[in-house]
Order: sequence, then structure tokens, then C-alpha cells
Amino acid sequence: MIVRIAFALMLSLGNLASAGAAAPDCSRPYTLALHDHGLLYSADTDTGIDKDVAEELIRRSGCKVTVSLMPRARIWQLIESGALDFSLSGIANADREKFATFAWYFSNRYYLLVRKDVSVRQINDFVQNTNLQLGVIRSFRYSESANRLVDRLQADNRLSLSSGLSPLYQALQLNRIQGMIIEPFDYPSLEEKKIREFTTVIEFNDPAVPHGLIMSRKALPVAEQEKWRGLIAGMRNDGTMRRIFEKYFKPDQAAAMVDF
Amino acid sequence: MDEHRTRAAALLSLLPWLPWLALLASLGTTWLVWDHERNSANNEMRSQFNFALRETVSRIEQRVAAYEQMLRGVQSLLATTSLKNRKGIHDYVESLQLDANFSGVQVIGVVELVAAQDKTRHEAAMRQLGLADYRIEPAGEREIYAPVIQREPFFGRNRNHLGFDAWSEPRRQEAMIRARDSGMAAISGKVRLAVDDASTATPGFIMYLPVFAHDQPHDNLAQRRAHLVGWVFASFHMNDFMASLYGRQPSGLALSIYDEVDPTEAALIYRSTDGNEKPEPAGKNTLSTIEYMVVAGHNWTVSLSTQQQFEKLYDRDTAFVIAAAGTCLSFALAALVWLLLNGRSRALRLAARMTEKLRHMAQHDLLTGLPNRALFSDRLQQELARAKRQNGQFALIFLDLDHFKPINDNFGHAVGDQLLLEMAQRLRTTVRAADTVGRIGGDEFVILMTELTDASDALSLAEKICEAVRQPVTVNGVEQRVSCSLGIAIYPTDGIDEITLTKRADAAMYRTKENGRDGIELAGRMTNSRF
Repeated sequence: MIVRIAFALMLSLGNLASAGAAAPDCSRPYTLALHDHGLLYSADTDTGIDKDVAEELIRRSGCKVTVSLMPRARIWQLIESGALDFSLSGIANADREKFATFAWYFSNRYYLLVRKDVSVRQINDFVQNTNLQLGVIRSFRYSESANRLVDRLQADNRLSLSSGLSPLYQALQLNRIQGMIIEPFDYPSLEEKKIREFTTVIEFNDPAVPHGLIMSRKALPVAEQEKWRGLIAGMRNDGTMRRIFEKYFKPDQAAAMVDF
Repeated sequence: MDEHRTRAAALLSLLPWLPWLALLASLGTTWLVWDHERNSANNEMRSQFNFALRETVSRIEQRVAAYEQMLRGVQSLLATTSLKNRKGIHDYVESLQLDANFSGVQVIGVVELVAAQDKTRHEAAMRQLGLADYRIEPAGEREIYAPVIQREPFFGRNRNHLGFDAWSEPRRQEAMIRARDSGMAAISGKVRLAVDDASTATPGFIMYLPVFAHDQPHDNLAQRRAHLVGWVFASFHMNDFMASLYGRQPSGLALSIYDEVDPTEAALIYRSTDGNEKPEPAGKNTLSTIEYMVVAGHNWTVSLSTQQQFEKLYDRDTAFVIAAAGTCLSFALAALVWLLLNGRSRALRLAARMTEKLRHMAQHDLLTGLPNRALFSDRLQQELARAKRQNGQFALIFLDLDHFKPINDNFGHAVGDQLLLEMAQRLRTTVRAADTVGRIGGDEFVILMTELTDASDALSLAEKICEAVRQPVTVNGVEQRVSCSLGIAIYPTDGIDEITLTKRADAAMYRTKENGRDGIELAGRMTNSRF
């Protein structure tokens, strides 16, 4: 009974929150881009967290939004130019804050995935062994010390760039690269077991980094940004966001990501 | 004070090292500048290289996206008409006006999905459409067939192999499955296009878009699998595709593209033939990197490396010029410091020599080199002081050459001077080492006899002098004879100061002259010595 009342209360609170947010201006169609990235979105199956979030967001907005698939680097370029309105699961840095604004909906930590056979126990071991190459996705940024690692290795010409995640797993398997930086949703659903067999995971000692809806400052007036932010807040408050994450993660893991 | 002096001395002792210090400092500076220049040239090259890589990848992505867009047009057409509407498709492709910009496209075509049980019916239907010898190839029974039923533009070798079952070839099948499951464009791995001869074929790839049954949903995987009726595809020769990229590949970069993520020769699908076919051996400045691309769901590996031509652009000779010029200048600077230091000490030595010479000139007679009046007076003062201190005695002798003037008048000053020189020499050799002979006028000399033990010693020396002067002198082959008149004053008997002694010696000498010259007068006594 108490549970039921609490649930009803939560629902009404959620509704209040979403009702409180004014509906966005739908007088023009919007554009939203996904990038193929593990559980966030897999083009092979046309499914993923970001796709679910996008569908729910679009449904709530009532606007027409064209969804497309692009490399991440291209997405950032277009967000900066204002040609693209939205993307998902973005993280901020000083540069991006200039042209984008964010509506956070989950946060997570970063990990270094390394081959077991290179005997890397901590992040610094990877830096020290100059034979090791790190695979990174072009334009990706991470948590603070992960960014430091990437910048350091770039100066030493030890990065192998990629426009997507899947070639990096293959390159890791072929020993063309020996490490890559991953997030919890990065394991490709099919190959997860195989990858875990020959790799080990090292945690970066950074706090969790918030991820959110990316909005182009050029494309959206501040008032509109607030409305879209309100929609995301509504999805978080009424538990929709958590339910989406629970489709892909164990409940405790999903909770840890969504409640921050 | 002492400390100050020692510090100054320490500094002075460092002076000889100064050229070396200058050399080290300027060579060090040269090295720093050279290193900085080399680094900035390297950084510039690296950033240009990174830029070129980003551009290359981006141009490929853009081009694939453009072809995908074009193919979506055909896909859209088929969403409104039947797969077998050959004329409609032909007209549509023709109306696309695929000009030189799309020269990368070899074929635009349609593949129909045919279930095993429909094979015969399908072949019959195609033959009815006017393709008399149409049949699905390769022959044999399979569960699924995906024959090519149309190729546009429909001429030349594009007419061959209609009915080729794309599903029978694993790479095509994989891409077709991917296109079906994702509902999006998918490109295949490296293939030989069906329209190519095995002997002349170059690497190619095929882009597929799925075609779903009219009015059937295809929003999820299950719906897409259930309602697929076929594919539209565009096939490409990799070389033509790369040639159709917008923009220009920066020269001096070797670009290779490999299928999938393992860059082996077997997987090579493109290699830029910029200049020479063979990749150059890696130089010491060579930059080389690979980037993995995901194009329409398929992985390509782009490998880019610099060649000498590119490296030369940034291997500006500046670093070498800096090193060479800096080294030369360093040595020049060190030499200059050395010159300055040594030049100063040389100048000091010269000044000291000149000062000494001037001092000598101020104190000596120019002609004979004997002490002049000033120096003689100085010596006389010293002797006076010494004699006073020790209660000693000394003699002051005035000497005047007799009849010197007529020699000057008759034979000229040159002869007179020679004579004076000879006399000065004789006086110098006659007196004792401690004595001083000075010249105070034309033919007037003075002699200071120091530390006399007895006044008679002065007289005997005077007699020796007279004897020496009297010896004949040969000047310019003419023998000359002169004599001299001497006046002697003895300290302390004849005076105890310079003036008195000088006066009395002078007076004594004049008495000698009055008495007929060629003799000696003692100031204290009226005795004379006459020869």
C-alpha cells in the first residue's frame, strides 16, 4: 500500500515536473544525430540507449525530428556550425561549452581496456611502455586523467584514431593497438565475452562524468534550450530514463548511472 | 680591502678563459635556437600531416555520404514502384544525370530477394520481361537467392551477368544482411565487381540499401527481416571512387586504404600512385599513421605516411643555416674576445716601452746617450745625501774640450758630432763603473766620482781622462787631436751643496783655460797639473 502511494506520488511529481516545462517550439523540424557506439546505438540492430532516449524525447516534444547516423567528429562539427540541433550522450569541456549546451541524464566513469599480454597494471605502465598504441575515437573526450593520457600519447604519436568503436575492438584483437578507453556501455553486445577473455580493465581515478543531450547554441535560442532541458528533466524525474537504462544494464548499474 | 683585492685577482685570473666562455655561451645559444627551430619545423610538419589525415578521412566520409544520398533516391523510387519496373528505374537513373562528378559509380542496380521455392517462377518472369537467356548464377540449389535483375546504365559489360546471385558471395551477403537489419546503407568488403573480367579487375566495393515491401512497416529488426523484397546497390571501383573525391590530396603523402582493420597486402584496396609506385623507405623524419574508418557500417583502414617531397616542405634549411651560421659566429665572437683581451695587454706593453723611451730621452743627451744635466743633477743629489750620511767624500769634475769650435767650423757639425761621440765613449770607459759622466752643453761634460777615499784619487782619474782625450781621433779619414780643461771640486772640502760644488768646479775649470788649457785645476788648492 505504502509502496503504491509512494509510486503514485512519484508519478504525480514527475507529471508536475513535465507539465511545468513549457512545450518546445515545433514550428520547424529539428535534426538529431546518433553515433554508432556500443550500447548507446548499434546501427547493425538499429537499437540502443540513445535511440530509446531520442524516441521518448521526440515523443514528448511533439516536434518533427529527423534522426540520422554520423561519425562523432562530424556531429561535433555540425553542432558547432548550427546545422545540427541535437545529439546525445555528450560530455562537456571548455571548448564545447562555447558552442553547445547540455541536459545531463546519466554519468559514468572511464576505464582503460588493455590486452592482458602487455602486463599493464596501472595507467602509468601504459604510458611508460612506448611500444603500446592507444586506440581512440576521433573527437572523443573523456574524464580528466583519461584526457591527460590521450594528450600525452598524442604528443608521442602513439594514438590510432578511429571514426567508430568497432574497428578499435578488432584492432585490439589483432594487437594493432594494445589499449582503448571505454565506458560501461562500450562493450559490443555480441562480442563482450570474447573481449573480456583477452583484456583487463583499469579504472581511471576520476569522478563520474555527466553525459547529456547536446544542444547547438547556434541552432537553439536560450529559451528553447530550457524547454528541451525540461523534457530531459521530466524523463529523469518520472523514472523513464532509469527504465531505459535498465533495458541495457543490471538495475543497480542503471541506478548508479542515472542517479547522480 | 684584502678581500676586495683577492676577489679582483680572482676575476683577473678568469680573464684568459673569457674567449672560451664566450665560445661556450654562443655555441649553447646556437644549439638552443637550432633545437627550437627544428622542433617547430617538426611540429608544423606533424600538424600539417594530422590535418591532411583528418581531411582525407573527412573527404572519403563525405563522398560516401553523397553516394548514399544518390542511392537513397533510387531506394525512394522503389518505395513507390515495383522492383521489376525496369523502364521506370532506367529513366530515373538517366534523369539523375550522373556526370563526371559521379564517375566513381560503375553500376547502379537492383537485386531481388528470391526464396528457394520461387527460383523457377522468378527466372520465368525475368525472361518474360525480354531477357531471353536470364538465369540465376551460379547454378545450384540454395535457400536464398539475391540475383541482380537490373543494371544501369545498361550498356557494354554492364549487360553481362544479369542474374548473378549476390547472396552466393559471402562479402556481398554480409553487407546485404547488414543493410537489411539496420535499414541503412551498408558497403561490402573488397570484391571483384561482377561486370569485371578476372584479368583486368581492380578492387571494388558495393553499397547496398534495403528495399522493403510497400505499405509494410520496417521500424524494427523483425519487421525489416519480414518485409524485405530486395536491395538497390551502387558498385564502385576503388580507384574511380578515390578519383571522384572533392579537393586535392596533398602531394608528398602516400595514401593506402585497406579493407577491414588489418593492413595487409591482400586487403589493400587503394594506393595513391603519387610519383612512384613503390613506397619509399622510411626516412628519419617520416611520419606514418593509420586511422580506422567506419564507412556505411564497414571498416576501412586508412594509412598515410609522408614522403620525401612532403618532408622537404618542412625540412626548411633554416635549422641547418642556424647551426652553421651560429657556429661560425660563435668562433668569430670567441676570436674577437681573445683579440680584445690580448690587444689591451699589447697596448699596455707598448705604452710602457714608449714611456721608458720618453723617460730616457728626458734624462739623457740625445747625441751621446750620456745623462743630461737633469739626471746628472739627480745623481749628484743622491751622492750628496749618501756622502753626508756616511761622512764620505766625492769629486765633481767639469770638463771642457779645448779648441772644439774650430773643428766644428772647419769640418762641419757631422765631424764635430762624431768627435763628441768618440770622446763620450772614451770618458765612459775611463771612469769607474760607479761614476757618472754627463754632457751639459756643446763640448762641456761633467763627471761625478763617487766614494772617494782620498782626494788625490780624483786627480789621478782626471789625469787618466786627459790622457784618454788627448789620443788622436780619425773621423772621415782625417786625424783630429783635441785636449781638455778640467776643474775638480771635492766634497766636503770645496763645498757641501750642489751649487757651491758646481760653482767651484766650474771656476777651477776656467782657471785651467786661463792657464793655457790642457790641464787640471783643483778648486781647493791653487795647484794645477799641467802637461
